[in-house]
Amino acid sequence: MLELELEVVRDGFTLDVQLSLAPGPTALVGPNGAGKSTLLRSVLGAVPVRRGRIVLDGRALLDTARGLSVPTEDRRVAWVPQEYALFPHLTVLENVTFGIPGQVGRARAGAVMDQLGLAALGSRRPGALSGGERQKVALARALAAEPRALLLDEPLAALDADTREATRALLAESLHRLAIPSLVVTHEMRDVLALGGPVVLIEAGRIRSAGALDVFRASPPSEFARSLVTRVVGGV
Amino acid sequence: MSGRAGTRLLAVLPSVAAAFMLALLAVPLLALVLSTPPGDLIDGLRHPLALSALRLSLLTTSISLGLTLLLGTPLAWWMARHQGPAERIAAALVQLPIVVPPAVSGLALLLAFGRRGLLGPLLDRAGLALPFTTAAVVLAELFVSSPFYVQSAVAAFRRLDEDLLWAARSLGAGPARRFFRVALPLSRPGVVTGAALSWARALGEFGATLMFAGNLQGRTQTLPLAIYSALETDLRPAKALSILLVAVALVVLGVLGRGTVLEAVRARA
Repeated sequence: MLELELEVVRDGFTLDVQLSLAPGPTALVGPNGAGKSTLLRSVLGAVPVRRGRIVLDGRALLDTARGLSVPTEDRRVAWVPQEYALFPHLTVLENVTFGIPGQVGRARAGAVMDQLGLAALGSRRPGALSGGERQKVALARALAAEPRALLLDEPLAALDADTREATRALLAESLHRLAIPSLVVTHEMRDVLALGGPVVLIEAGRIRSAGALDVFRASPPSEFARSLVTRVVGGV
Repeated sequence: MSGRAGTRLLAVLPSVAAAFMLALLAVPLLALVLSTPPGDLIDGLRHPLALSALRLSLLTTSISLGLTLLLGTPLAWWMARHQGPAERIAAALVQLPIVVPPAVSGLALLLAFGRRGLLGPLLDRAGLALPFTTAAVVLAELFVSSPFYVQSAVAAFRRLDEDLLWAARSLGAGPARRFFRVALPLSRPGVVTGAALSWARALGEFGATLMFAGNLQGRTQTLPLAIYSALETDLRPAKALSILLVAVALVVLGVLGRGTVLEAVRARA
């Protein structure tokens, strides 16, 4: 369980959200500039939070009232940014084992890489991978670190249409198996449907709605939501 | 002169100017090489003046390079990752020795660390006398050369993709691991370039060393000072050492060339 209560003020923009995430994937949707990435980065600890609390499985990671802020490296919150931020100078295996050095790490990395079909790519560098492969390496790297929560910023956006189709199911399946709260930013209704979990709609820095996918589809809570839901019918 | 001829002259003028500039740069180096037959080169390098200067220069520039890396890297990291009045002052301090004339640097060092200098009494009490020692050579080299390294390293650190460092943090990497495993390897071209430039500048240091450390054979007489001294007695070691320094400069340029090529490749990846 990941509980968030955040007020972030940044360059005249205010993000003010209260959110409770159950284990499993939650889709985070909203227009450009609504604060999706800022929300992710504030959970990560990369954006200063003016007021609020972050509690992960009963452990407070942030509580501004008590002056508590656990450093990012001790939060056990993995983050996959839009361009993946793979270490370009390290091999795939070194990337995946980055968060878990040593013998145990290599074994765990091997297991995760097998699962995602990366076993044959261990000695390659990110620069020599296709977009889909890079996406999987980023996911493998995050999973191998055994995080307690996972933040994915438009994980499929950088992929071409065919690769996106192929990777989507794998991503959804991995996140369901993982059973930790994972927040997935996306602009695609197809991603939302594949994830199958709750949908959080954020607009202008505030939560517009948060609830089950069926409800979100049946009665889209805003103009943006309506266009998102209808786009899938005729679209790719 | 007809109008057309005038136009043609104007058209070739830039080419003539460029050729003249190039000749101006090439002729002195050519003269240096042409005036030194291979026999003279070998004799010159075997000269006692040359040998002791070579040894001293290698020793002092190695130490100053080591100190530059050791002290300059944390400074560059700090300057690259913060922005405020303190960093602006630091940036100015780091730029000054590059543009200040070496003679001024030498005088400033004397006034700081000399016996009657600012820190003289303090050093005296500690039983340390810096001026006219090998340590003074190192200090002079450090003063004039370390800014080249720091500037280059700051620029390299600033180019780092911030998200890579956040990704490393989210994977549990503390400051040391982030720096040595992510930041430093990715900044290597800029750091190597800075180190090479800084070392070359230390190797060529003359004015500040002469004023602050003197010109004592075996103690403070580095290669440039040995060349200067040899001019008065025997030109052969002067020419031989000069050719040696030109060769070293070519090697440094090679290192720099590789660094910039590497950077270009990485920027494209």
